[in-house]
Amino acid sequence: MISRREFLSFGLSLTAGFVLSNPKRSWGAPFPQFFFAQLKYRGGEWDPNPRFAEAIIEELELRTSIDALKERRITPLSDPDLYYSPFLYIAGKYEFEPFTSQEREILRRFLTYGGFLFAEDTMGAKGFGFDRAFRAEMKQILPDHELKRLPLDHSVYRSFYLIESVGGRQKVQSYLEGITIDQWTPVIYSQNDLSGAWARDRFGKWIHECMPGGEAQRSSAFKAGINIIVYSLTSDYKKDVIHHPFIKKRQNL
Amino acid sequence: MNVKEILIEPMIPLWLIYLLFSLGGAAVILQYWLTRKRLVRSKALTLALLRLCTLSLLISFLLNPFSLERKEYKVLPSLAILFDTSPSMGLPGRGGKSRLEEARAFLFEGSNPLFNSLSERFDVSLYGLGESMRSLKEEELTRLRVGKKKGDLGEAMRQLSGKASLGLLLSDGNLKWDETPPAGPSLLSLPSGDPKEYRDILIKEVKAPHLAFRGREVRIDVAIKTYGYRGMTLPVVLKEGSRIIAARDIRVTESPAEVTLTLSFTPEKVGQHNLDLSIPAQVGESISGNNRVDLSIKVVRDKIRVLMVSGSPSLNYRFMRMALKNDPSIDLLSFVILRTPSDILNVPIQEQSLIPFPVDTLFSKELNHFDLLIFDNLPCHFYISTNYYGRMREFIREGGGLAMIGGPHLLDGGRYLGTPLGETLPIKLTGKEGYRRDASFGVRLSRAGRTHPVTQLSPDENENENLWQDMPALDGMNLLEPKVFKNVLLEGGEGGSRPLLFADSYGKGRILILGTDFSWKWYMGMISRGKSHWAYLRFIERMVRWLTKDASLEPLQITFPETSGEAGQELEFRIRVKEARSDPHFQGKVQLSVFDSEGVKIESHLKAGQPTGEYLGFFTPRREGIYRIKVELPNGFQEEFLTIGRPIEEREGAPDHKRLKEISTATGGNLFFRGEDLLKEIDAFGDRGKKSFVEEKRSPLWSLPYALFGLLSLLGAEWYLRRRWGLI
Repeated sequence: MISRREFLSFGLSLTAGFVLSNPKRSWGAPFPQFFFAQLKYRGGEWDPNPRFAEAIIEELELRTSIDALKERRITPLSDPDLYYSPFLYIAGKYEFEPFTSQEREILRRFLTYGGFLFAEDTMGAKGFGFDRAFRAEMKQILPDHELKRLPLDHSVYRSFYLIESVGGRQKVQSYLEGITIDQWTPVIYSQNDLSGAWARDRFGKWIHECMPGGEAQRSSAFKAGINIIVYSLTSDYKKDVIHHPFIKKRQNL
Repeated sequence: MNVKEILIEPMIPLWLIYLLFSLGGAAVILQYWLTRKRLVRSKALTLALLRLCTLSLLISFLLNPFSLERKEYKVLPSLAILFDTSPSMGLPGRGGKSRLEEARAFLFEGSNPLFNSLSERFDVSLYGLGESMRSLKEEELTRLRVGKKKGDLGEAMRQLSGKASLGLLLSDGNLKWDETPPAGPSLLSLPSGDPKEYRDILIKEVKAPHLAFRGREVRIDVAIKTYGYRGMTLPVVLKEGSRIIAARDIRVTESPAEVTLTLSFTPEKVGQHNLDLSIPAQVGESISGNNRVDLSIKVVRDKIRVLMVSGSPSLNYRFMRMALKNDPSIDLLSFVILRTPSDILNVPIQEQSLIPFPVDTLFSKELNHFDLLIFDNLPCHFYISTNYYGRMREFIREGGGLAMIGGPHLLDGGRYLGTPLGETLPIKLTGKEGYRRDASFGVRLSRAGRTHPVTQLSPDENENENLWQDMPALDGMNLLEPKVFKNVLLEGGEGGSRPLLFADSYGKGRILILGTDFSWKWYMGMISRGKSHWAYLRFIERMVRWLTKDASLEPLQITFPETSGEAGQELEFRIRVKEARSDPHFQGKVQLSVFDSEGVKIESHLKAGQPTGEYLGFFTPRREGIYRIKVELPNGFQEEFLTIGRPIEEREGAPDHKRLKEISTATGGNLFFRGEDLLKEIDAFGDRGKKSFVEEKRSPLWSLPYALFGLLSLLGAEWYLRRRWGLI
């Protein structure tokens, strides 16, 4: 399966009689300000929605001022360039092999000192598969901090859209979970399969149906995705006092 | 009275004299026995008697007889008359005269001037009592004028000790006087001035902090003393220049009265605030100069207020926000442009968290409440009208800081060219935006960057240079040219020579441009290496503090004594050069200048102390006012202001007869008013001081001619009779 960008590049190359090589970006190359860096781990299924990035990035560029790279970067935990990821993403359906102590240390350091990780259980089965493995890893990596439901006044629910419920391909839970260290939540976790709702095929059609809420649930997944991305780049900006009266007014509080 | 006595003072022991006398008597008896054989009894007895007399006379000389004459002399007691010439003696006294004239008239006027009576009874000396005591002649009294300093009675008493047996003090009571009186004559006092008629309003005491925080209430406690003006309401006004910043009324209910009140205001501007506290002069006031007091308050920020506007959410914003938020001394207000004008909103406003960017409020009304403005990769023209650029330029010119953080929109597509904001920037504007995001590059310190406070992350120059070279590589860079190369602190890019960090001053403010949107990599890059991220945090901290002229980055610190200075007293203060220990350039290059309230440079000197970098500064203010102290170093200077006031004693002019009585009593004297029989009282005190002395005159008798004549007569008579009677 090739992306639309790849398809267009190929077509243009043929027209020009010159085959444009699709330069595979390495970690040594410069970093755009925003891109998805997806963790590749051992065991389980690390890439349940390979075509999730394009639609959400398009949406991001259409709605926000964020300048982003449409393609995602795949990274193992052992790569030191992981630290330059603005948005580290991990997803899966099934239980995966435990991280090594070195990998755990890399992730612990990354999360403790300002990195951001968005994790998704695309199967949505509590206590099974990816969910069980991920929670166990988080306990190992950040033993002093708990993965908890993020309250509705958390900045992630108001970083761009004012949302009260989180959509997705499935509706396992209406909220996000996260690990908060001081004022910053470096880990946000969802079991709604947001990326499944974002994923499109190369013809632009949604790959998955959103159940049970349909397109409204998909729209909600996009809003949640944008909010999570904006949160990863602005932290608790929306907690600043200047925002309070506006947000309260809009929430009829 | 003369008294004469004959006394002896033996030249040898008396027993020896008795022995000689006995031997002489025996010799005379032997002579009588021998001459009796040749002469009749009467003649032999005559010769023996003559010989006895001669011997007795000779032996009596050994007793060393002398006459003693005593003469007693009476001495007039000495009286020192002290005319107080303190400034308050020039104020109105009784009878339309000044207090000094009143004192003079008291001694010399009238049908029988008191001075004449005193001269008959005393040995009178006249003195003028100013800052020092000086002897006066009688004719000088008419020309006697008040001085500028208070009379120092304590010192005068020490000088009069042993010289005068009694003192007469003519004063209104406004004197320098220690509570423990020195040895000296008793003082009789004649008061000048009339406390009941005295009218004055005096700012007696002001308690104000030297240092205040912007945005926090400053309280100034004022004590006001009034003489007269009962029933009046008086305004107390605190002004800065011509602007009234606080005012309150006081009601005078009695006389004399002392009223205390508190004036408060909230300073909004950091810096030195020279204020004056005053009460309008009232009709008939004796001294109007004591209705005003100068104050100098240095206002510092309790927090550095930073306004940050980011062009879009980014890691650069998040890490800089984190660094700023982690600093408790920084109060950050940030705005992130979450959507551009071309972005499409797909939800009603109730579902967005976006707030309007309050451009007008921020840049026309509130800008002065901030210390630092940060534009982070901001395409300014979309959101801020160029009409506000002039206001921003004024903000910087007046002492504000501006930081521009790089990215593709650093120069707003070159739109700053020819604008007031562009004028302030330390880079050449071409009307284009040059930005590259390709190969990673490291940075290195420029020559200026090695010593600049912003890039000085370590006090050690080599360590600092290595620190910067070791910083993680950056991925994006603005292509900028400096106006002046000395303003470039960091270089990077191709060949490592492209300017990256610029710092300059504009007016009283400072500007910094960081030509990259990847400085956050200095944070996470260090984490990825397993190192600490402190260098990034320190860089941001020093950047903010330098831009806002925070005292912690100033090269020196001036510390004044807690008590405020007074005119005429040498003032000592401490200067600490912070970098002196590590930088040999500072040695011997510290210069001190002190300027009085009129801007005239006055004498001052500097003394190096221990440890290195510590100095003591000295100067003696000659008059009250606000003094400017400027300390210069090779890399900058610092100024502080200090208020010098007159001591309260010199501002107080009310006759203080109660104090005069206390002074007199403490010396064993008393206070006399006009109606009393002053001379009688003075006589009573004078009697105790009366003295006499006795003069003694001694005359040896053996050296008198009569003694020699008597001796020769005795020897001659014996020789004559012996010859006549045929013994020779």
